[in-house]
Amino acid sequence: MSLLVTGSAIVAQQGDPLLFDVDLTAVGIVVGKVLVIFAFLLVATMFMVWFERKLISDMQNRIGPNLAGPFGILQTLADGIKFFFKEDLIPDRAQRRVFILAPFLSFVPAFLLFVVIPFGGDFNDGNAGVVTIFGRETFLQVADPPIGVLFILAMSSLAVYGAMLAGWSSGSKYPLLGSVRQSAQMISYEAAMGLAIIAVVVKTGSLSTHDIVVTQAGEGLGGILPNWGVLLTLGVPFVIFVIAATAELNRPPFDLVEAEQELVGGFHTEYSSIRFALFFLAEFMNTVTMSAIFVTLFLGGPAGPVLFGPGWLWGIIWFALKVFVFLFMFVWFRATLPRLRYDQLMDLGWKVLIPLSLGWILLLVALDLAQDQNWNLFAVGIGAAVVFFCAAMLLRAAVRSGQATRHTLEVPD
Amino acid sequence: MPEAVLLGGEQTTTAVEWVVFIIAATTTLLGSFGVIMARNPVHAALSLVGSLFSVAVLFLNQGAEFLAAVQVIVYTGAIVILILFVLMLLGIDTEEDLEDEPLRGQMPVAVGIGVLLTASVFALTQLVGFDVVTGTPEVTAAIRDDMPNINQIGRLLFTDFVVATQLAGVMLTVAVVGAVVMARRPREYQPIPEPESMDAPLSLDPTDQGADNGAEVAD
Amino acid sequence: MGLGQYLPIFVMLVLALVFGAMSRVASHILAPRLSTVAKTDPYECGIDASQEPPERFPVTFYLVAMIFIVFDIEIIFMFPYAAVFSDLGVFGFVAVAIFAFALFESFVYLIGNGAMEWGPARKAKPEALVSPERTAATTIRRVGTEGRPAAAATVADRTPVPTEAA
Repeated sequence: MSLLVTGSAIVAQQGDPLLFDVDLTAVGIVVGKVLVIFAFLLVATMFMVWFERKLISDMQNRIGPNLAGPFGILQTLADGIKFFFKEDLIPDRAQRRVFILAPFLSFVPAFLLFVVIPFGGDFNDGNAGVVTIFGRETFLQVADPPIGVLFILAMSSLAVYGAMLAGWSSGSKYPLLGSVRQSAQMISYEAAMGLAIIAVVVKTGSLSTHDIVVTQAGEGLGGILPNWGVLLTLGVPFVIFVIAATAELNRPPFDLVEAEQELVGGFHTEYSSIRFALFFLAEFMNTVTMSAIFVTLFLGGPAGPVLFGPGWLWGIIWFALKVFVFLFMFVWFRATLPRLRYDQLMDLGWKVLIPLSLGWILLLVALDLAQDQNWNLFAVGIGAAVVFFCAAMLLRAAVRSGQATRHTLEVPD
Repeated sequence: MPEAVLLGGEQTTTAVEWVVFIIAATTTLLGSFGVIMARNPVHAALSLVGSLFSVAVLFLNQGAEFLAAVQVIVYTGAIVILILFVLMLLGIDTEEDLEDEPLRGQMPVAVGIGVLLTASVFALTQLVGFDVVTGTPEVTAAIRDDMPNINQIGRLLFTDFVVATQLAGVMLTVAVVGAVVMARRPREYQPIPEPESMDAPLSLDPTDQGADNGAEVAD
Repeated sequence: MGLGQYLPIFVMLVLALVFGAMSRVASHILAPRLSTVAKTDPYECGIDASQEPPERFPVTFYLVAMIFIVFDIEIIFMFPYAAVFSDLGVFGFVAVAIFAFALFESFVYLIGNGAMEWGPARKAKPEALVSPERTAATTIRRVGTEGRPAAAATVADRTPVPTEAA
């Protein structure tokens, strides 16, 4: 295997060069990377819980946790330890086996999701983020399967089961209502999320998360702007992804699943002790991971200029900074936006986001083809606008007709 | 499996692939048995998830990464969710009564079809060779190693098999129409029989509780 | 061939499962076990559970799952296309546009039939309802009768049902 691995070589090869001939050193490095990421996820989740509480407090003119450790930063750890000493209850009416299984279905996908995220490495000058550990070349990324983004979708589709089965197996009404709401919400926005990811794939031409970052590390428009996914896809898929991801995470303003006023705690109402802690962990871990996915798909991942010192370190620094922006955004959403009503939530997902993202993919493809075939870009734009307008009108008529169908129903006395 | 497959050659089954195959195949079978043996429909659906997930691992083992992802996303992520929804919507989450046979004579027919299928698989192994049926790497290996299989699939789907792709789109449309027709509200209002627990009309009199009393007072 | 790429995922899976199991064991050792009937009853804010969990849900949930399958499969078809679209040229674009149109059309049909309507049905209210009005005999507002059909409410309330003019 050649020592100088460029971006194009990686595309042809598909995957982390370390993992083609696996030996003892390779296994050692893999286990090391997994352990580091595992520890990072736990620490980042703890940090996120503290950060959210502290930031929300600041936004609401409160102090927030301030006793455990400096600035209360150990508060989450204290809470976590306390969970171990709490009584673990299984309701009489629960379906025991499924009740026990549900938290695992929730937090295992949360751990697995981060595996495909590139979190460091130098992507400048065709370096493609390759680093050398113990004389072996590897990526600062735990795994780089050629279907990376599909892996993300697969894991988030598995995550639905945790909440769904938790609610069903509790044998209680609030969890059941919460879980039915949640599963319908999550699958709705998963479709929008998938379509937004396709828009990125259209511009990067690869499903491997590493290749997506390599493409984004290149020179952007005019040599000034970065070649980030958010600019490549002309912004709209990014906005769709922000909305869909917030809904997918069940974070405010889409947290109908755990709307306290209506559903007590939602699907985990009957859970206590460490089982509840695992759900809680999964929720915040998913927030961290989703922010990392944002960065990977739309903000160039760890790619960024190297100011001084080792390049791979700057990759990690840029990555952490970018992730932090999204963590802040999620907390800001929670502090600012009021919760949606369920019909508004479903309408937004189905009647706006999905058609729009579908149309946007076709538009991106058409623009790219127009450049290839030397068509008049202006004419393509006009054509696209006409098609968009027609589709929107058709959809509007359908919505009207749908409302009429539903509302003409009379219930007799 | 002949010894020659295990040793030598360029595309052979490695030891790791063997172990993965044995584990995944076992869990696939166990999951399938769970589907038909479980008395609780939700447990059966969960067994189906396990079974489908193991099939995804088998796909990975064959190098069919895209198929593995599709298996998880479409089957476990969408179709089993639909099944679970139906179970929850209908409220048939209680234990199933196996004595009560909704389709008379389905058991013997099922056994017959099962035997026939097994026999045809064995017949195939004899006719076209063991390797083709079992999908050993010699026959099912990727055509080109330097190109991810998703690219090859994309090319084929939208060139050679474009008619099949469009037919798939048409079939999906038919499925949607079918679902809407089945779920459409009737134009005329037809009262649905209420479940038992909701029989009791709401009563505001604290001394008057339950269905029987309510009916009497109404007279 | 590329199974090695999935080794880290497997290691992470094992690690996560071990983490979950260890937490359970630790909780098992450390947590008290003082279960009472009240603790293991379904949660109902401290009172006895008065109603069974709902057994039926609106059919719209089923339709959402159904249409999700359709879109999921469409997404699956679009991913390979997105990866190779520049090689396929105009032919591929026309093919994918027709495919997308077929699905958009079924989507429009679905919405046009009111399958995705979640909001309250506006005209579903029957005309004659017991309204919680004060009468000459009593000033007590009959809470809880609002929106119920007159027949059910007369069980407790013998007063004549106010007409829609009231």
